[in-house]
Amino acid sequence: MKQENQGIWIGEKDLTRDPEFIKSASQEFAEENILEKLGEKNVSSNLESTRRDFLKYLGFGLGAATLAASCEIPIKKAIPYVIKPDEIVPGIANYYASSYVKGGDYCSILVKTREGRPIKIEGNSLSSINKGGTSARAQAMVLELYDLNRQQDPSIKGEKVSWNDLDAAVKSKLAASTNIRILTNTVLSPSAKASMGEFIEKYPNTQVVVYDPVSSSALLDANEQTFGQRVIPNYRFDMADVIVSFNADFLGTWISPVEYATQYAAKRKINDVSNPKMSRHIQVESHMSLTGSNADNRILVRPSEQGAAIVALYNAITGGNIQSPSLNDKAKAALNKVASELKAAKGKSLVLCGTNNLAEQIIVNAINNELGNIGSTVDFKNASLQRQGSDKDLSQLLADMNGGKVDVLIINQANPVYDTAFSSEFAAAVSKVPTSIALSYDHNETSMLCEYVAPVNHILESWGDAEPKKGIISTIQPTIAPLFRTRQAEASLLVWAESVNYDSNADQPYMDFVQSNWEKTIYQKQSRFLSFNAFRDNLLHDGVMSIEDNSDAVSFSGDVSSAAASVTKPGSGDIEISFFETVNLGNGQFTSNPWLMEMPDPVSRCAWGNYLAVPVGFDGVRKMVGLNNLKDGDMVEVTIGDNSVKVPVIQQFGQMPGTVGLALGYGRTAAGKCGTGVGVNVNNCISLNGTYPNYFATSATVSNKIGKEDHFSCVQYHHTMGVTAEDKKTGEMINADEAALVFFNYGLVDQGYQGALTDRSIIYNSHVNELTEKLEKLHHKREEAQDLNDKQIYAGYDELYDRGHHWGMHVDLNACIGCGACTVACMAENNVPVVGKKEVTRHHEMTWLRIDRYFYGNLENPNTVYQPMMCQHCDNAPCENVCPVNATNHSSEGLNQMAYNRCVGTRYCANNCPFKVRRFNWYDYTTADIFPANQVSLNGEDEPFGANNLTRMVLNPDVTVRSRGVIEKCSFCVQRIQEGKLTAKKEGRRLVDSDVKTACQTSCPTGAIVFGDMNNKKGELNKKLESPLNYIVLEEVNVRSSVNYTMKVHNRDKSFDA
Amino acid sequence: MRNILKINFLLAFVMLFIQFSSLAQVSADEGKELFKNYCAACHAKSMRVNATGPALVNAEANWAEYDRADLYAWIRNSQAEINDTKHPRAVELWNTYKPTIMTSFPNLTDDNIESILAYIQVAANPVAVAGENISGPVVVEKKSNTIYYVLALALAFLAFILTRIINNLNVIAAKSDNPDAIVNRKSIIETLTSKGLISFVVFLLVVIGGYKSVNTAVNLGRQQGYSPEQPIKFSHETHAGINGIDCQYCHDGARRSKHSVIPAANTCMNCHSAIKVGSEYGTAELSKIYASIGFNPTTGTYIENYEDMSESDIENIFTKWIGDNYLEVKGIAELDKDGNKLVSEQWKGIKESLTSDVKPKIQGPIEWIRIHNLPDHVYFNHAQHVTVGKVACQQCHGTVEAMKVLEQYSPLSMGWCINCHRQTEVKFAGNEYYEAYEGYHKELNSGERSKVTVEDIGGLECQKCHY
Repeated sequence: MKQENQGIWIGEKDLTRDPEFIKSASQEFAEENILEKLGEKNVSSNLESTRRDFLKYLGFGLGAATLAASCEIPIKKAIPYVIKPDEIVPGIANYYASSYVKGGDYCSILVKTREGRPIKIEGNSLSSINKGGTSARAQAMVLELYDLNRQQDPSIKGEKVSWNDLDAAVKSKLAASTNIRILTNTVLSPSAKASMGEFIEKYPNTQVVVYDPVSSSALLDANEQTFGQRVIPNYRFDMADVIVSFNADFLGTWISPVEYATQYAAKRKINDVSNPKMSRHIQVESHMSLTGSNADNRILVRPSEQGAAIVALYNAITGGNIQSPSLNDKAKAALNKVASELKAAKGKSLVLCGTNNLAEQIIVNAINNELGNIGSTVDFKNASLQRQGSDKDLSQLLADMNGGKVDVLIINQANPVYDTAFSSEFAAAVSKVPTSIALSYDHNETSMLCEYVAPVNHILESWGDAEPKKGIISTIQPTIAPLFRTRQAEASLLVWAESVNYDSNADQPYMDFVQSNWEKTIYQKQSRFLSFNAFRDNLLHDGVMSIEDNSDAVSFSGDVSSAAASVTKPGSGDIEISFFETVNLGNGQFTSNPWLMEMPDPVSRCAWGNYLAVPVGFDGVRKMVGLNNLKDGDMVEVTIGDNSVKVPVIQQFGQMPGTVGLALGYGRTAAGKCGTGVGVNVNNCISLNGTYPNYFATSATVSNKIGKEDHFSCVQYHHTMGVTAEDKKTGEMINADEAALVFFNYGLVDQGYQGALTDRSIIYNSHVNELTEKLEKLHHKREEAQDLNDKQIYAGYDELYDRGHHWGMHVDLNACIGCGACTVACMAENNVPVVGKKEVTRHHEMTWLRIDRYFYGNLENPNTVYQPMMCQHCDNAPCENVCPVNATNHSSEGLNQMAYNRCVGTRYCANNCPFKVRRFNWYDYTTADIFPANQVSLNGEDEPFGANNLTRMVLNPDVTVRSRGVIEKCSFCVQRIQEGKLTAKKEGRRLVDSDVKTACQTSCPTGAIVFGDMNNKKGELNKKLESPLNYIVLEEVNVRSSVNYTMKVHNRDKSFDA
Repeated sequence: MRNILKINFLLAFVMLFIQFSSLAQVSADEGKELFKNYCAACHAKSMRVNATGPALVNAEANWAEYDRADLYAWIRNSQAEINDTKHPRAVELWNTYKPTIMTSFPNLTDDNIESILAYIQVAANPVAVAGENISGPVVVEKKSNTIYYVLALALAFLAFILTRIINNLNVIAAKSDNPDAIVNRKSIIETLTSKGLISFVVFLLVVIGGYKSVNTAVNLGRQQGYSPEQPIKFSHETHAGINGIDCQYCHDGARRSKHSVIPAANTCMNCHSAIKVGSEYGTAELSKIYASIGFNPTTGTYIENYEDMSESDIENIFTKWIGDNYLEVKGIAELDKDGNKLVSEQWKGIKESLTSDVKPKIQGPIEWIRIHNLPDHVYFNHAQHVTVGKVACQQCHGTVEAMKVLEQYSPLSMGWCINCHRQTEVKFAGNEYYEAYEGYHKELNSGERSKVTVEDIGGLECQKCHY
């Protein structure tokens, strides 16, 4: 059973030589039966075309061409400004420091604008929180600005009204009310809080209720009980040698993932191979989260066993014997070993808990206290304010609403009808409230139920501030005037409060309010600036500012044994299900964003829908089988209590047997064109533990296969780098790589595949303790490959890149956590289209940069490695010499160039690319084509997502929008290269690293990607290229790629597996 | 059948003759065309006065003492002759005319240049043409295409007569072989509708049509010489030529951005808040700028709340201004008939120029017609050429300072770009950036290489302009 796999695999089909997969892997794209395809669209077709048809088309073609040729060139206008703003030079981008804030999600950002139009988000490197990194969500916020699903006008009962009418109506209701509630997600902004304060001053019978779409209420309450502060501590992953996380997805979704990832990666990079040091990360969970996939060890416990596991760890550390529920033996043994490791790293360890259970959080606090972590890795100085929700208040609000105690409900940019555990109950309760007002950005489930809708600005149209951590102030400034007739939520509250500090007639009234608030508060707390104007200008320029946090030191006081009595009791059901937030969609806050919707979940690699993660087990012979013999894409019915949902299945390695997992955030009923009706909603399956929602259920039943999903959109098996070969015994075509793996692993006789073909160098990994010998092996293999490559008929024909630049990239797989920020950044930078679920199913996703996920090691509890894969810009590129029209060729700077206007779409290059990174425009995804006959609307396809003038505003004007029928691929952000070179030339100096950074590089929170000029010996890239951990993917095929990867080093304690 | 073939060959010969006779010949006609395209922007057409470039009437005489090839080289690339070859005559000319650089014309053949030189003589001595021999290596005649058409017609007629004769001879031959046979003589209609002739005509049409189609297709979207009428009759001649305003004063994007930038109306106001009456059009054109930005020329102040002003109020302001100006110029006290007409015409002009289907209001930006249009997939950056490459504006845009109505001077075709990138030397000296090109520096230092062109540093690669 304890089958160790020596190689890497990407999924069950790969591991078990699924014949369908082998067939599909040998093809570049999914092929459908042509007749089936035609039948699908009800095309009454006569597939044979006659000579007459041919002549007809020929004649029509000639006629059309003549018409097109005789058309007059349209007159184009050039319209200058009347009065040009000083800071705008058409053609040159401006950057403004601002913040990405969505509820408690925070990132300090720079907004790139072109001619006054925000088009791209970059991280703010001055920020002490995200240090220049971003998340996929932050990257995608700019698309949200141009969302068709936005609220565009104030409305009463769905009727458009003017702001004056709305304000008058709301004010009269407020004046007559006795019980007002404001319901909001976490508010980070001190100014917003001040505006709420003014509102409360005017209407003293107002209460503010805060909740978070995925609650951390128990953690906050536990901290209040044990440390006296209802905050999230300032966790220091960069100081932790041992990290134990109970179900906290701190790299993906939990509290402040960008900040944590930045710190975490610092402890995971191998800087000195002779004395390698890295932290050990142990994740205790049932479903493989993004964080779990990055862990060295995963200890599998059922969701209901979390409490028992935490108590067990506490007992093991303290040597105490507090009564605890039962726990599986394997986990118990492993946790004993974890305890000794933790004790060895006192003050340098960190224990986290992501469950929403008060008792469990209290014990985890006690553990950290035992380990001396309070004040070091768990610091209450600069504590985080990124979660403030209270489940108790929310429940109380629901009760009050049902009891008729609320007469005005103001919902501030939240969607409680969808994203709380009481979704349907809440909907019913809202209708009982006499006056419901939604301050809403988009049309969602909640705003549709509210009588008054006051549309709010996008954050890129707003003024504001944020205090994500105590003492860290971050600004929000508008980068575009409001596109529609919207008003900031804070401004609406101030107007309704008839605030004296808010002058509606001013040019930018809320700006004045925010700035006078700064002057009264933070300006007084600093001593660097002597005038407020200088202070303000600096704050707006930098985007962030730190002021001293004078919070008192804390000490732990809590009753562990009474807490232990109320931890979750293990359930008795056969199958337990856990509900989790995904990196891309959260709990539905991002569902209407096409970029995030199409971004595959990093772990399951599924896009466009939530898939039930089922465990796979080894059948003892040679197959991995899923729960109930389920295969990828099978539909099942999952019953949880009274609810049942029909979902497709994905086989998930690392999923604990006896458990399944299903993502939140899908199945929304009002989320615009992109999000409505995608996947299933499981928020109403969430049960309550007191007032705390439990994100799991102990007794779920999973039916057998009830059908197949129509469009199974998992990109896992797309674009794999396998090689097909003929099986010499049977004569059938099989994937040679897989065959080699399977034969090796299952002790079968190798059937004689040649070394270079079967033993392909895609991923290398090593345990940190075996690094020396593994490196020796790696270097030996590289020498071997080099030797093979030198024995070529064109030896010595290599291009010398000593004239100018030679661009290259380095990807540190030890830093990459697979968060996907780079993939979204790439889409934003390079105008990569969103294709939709159906097209993804056909392997037609257009991403230039994908993150391949491979497993290695233990079959049932494997380790994971993420490999960002983009065009490798081979200096001996196989794609270039098969192009019949020379549309792809090599530049003197080592770039593999793609000239779209030359491409005729033979796709030979895509076929010949060993890395499978070339993408073909099967349809006119961006409706760039001027010939209507080519547009998708005529082909029975859905209108593409980018096909409207509002969404088109996000396009990068420096990058061509590709039309149908051409190949595209990663260009190493050539527009940025050219821009950087020009800057250096204009300034008459040598090019430096900071001149050219690719979009993926700047977005990465962990600094995993470094781009640069290999000829610049002093550059950062060359330092990275010296690392002995480096290798080149598929080096043996002699394509001379320009991208180096590092060997993945892990720190797994194998004794845990015993 | 034999007849048909004969006719075909005959006609084909005629066509070929017409084709070849027009090629590889030196003619003043061709010279005129070339002169118009390449030289007329700088050199006066009279050939006897100096313009931007010198009068050309004595060009040949001045170069007579040197090898003819020197003159060709000078015309093709004058800077090379000055800097590299240091030709005495070239240096002499440079000393007189510097810093004005003569544009390079590397694509001119020797025959082209001879044609231009021939035309120069024709144009300089208009009476002395008509068949007279003019000194020079080639005898130049005044030719036109008419002669070819006449010739072609004559040959076609000849072919026709020959066909008839052959036809008749065939009939006679047939009759003499067999006097009883009834041999019909082919009628004209029958000859003209014979398969052979029809297939030949179709063949001809396909060849000509194909040739034309390809040429048209290649030129599709190109607008060399495009000079649309703009909403404001802005004269570059007045501004850049007569008044000598630097191009980059108004087109301030050229040095720092991809766009050269059409100046905003407030840039115009830098001067025109003082200069309110134009030298050429009086109040007619300048008032359009004022109406766009909201400046009251009578009071010399900007109008408050101009955005919300009604059209009739705007009309009052500007008709008053135009009328007053008229009175002042005429020195009369009340508007006469002409005056009223002028006022209403100029107001109409303002309204038409500043409004359109999408912009009903007079207030707001001026919608200029864009002359230089590149396809969407082409990336062009002015700063690269102006600031880094130090290319003079005129090299691509022609002598804008002499253009009353702006026109597109260059074809803006890819071939045109590429040609320039092939010849232009990169200014390595004085720009530290280019130190990255170590290989070239080595070769330059060792004398292996005399210069580095844009092509050498990758200026012809796809992704320098297409991404």
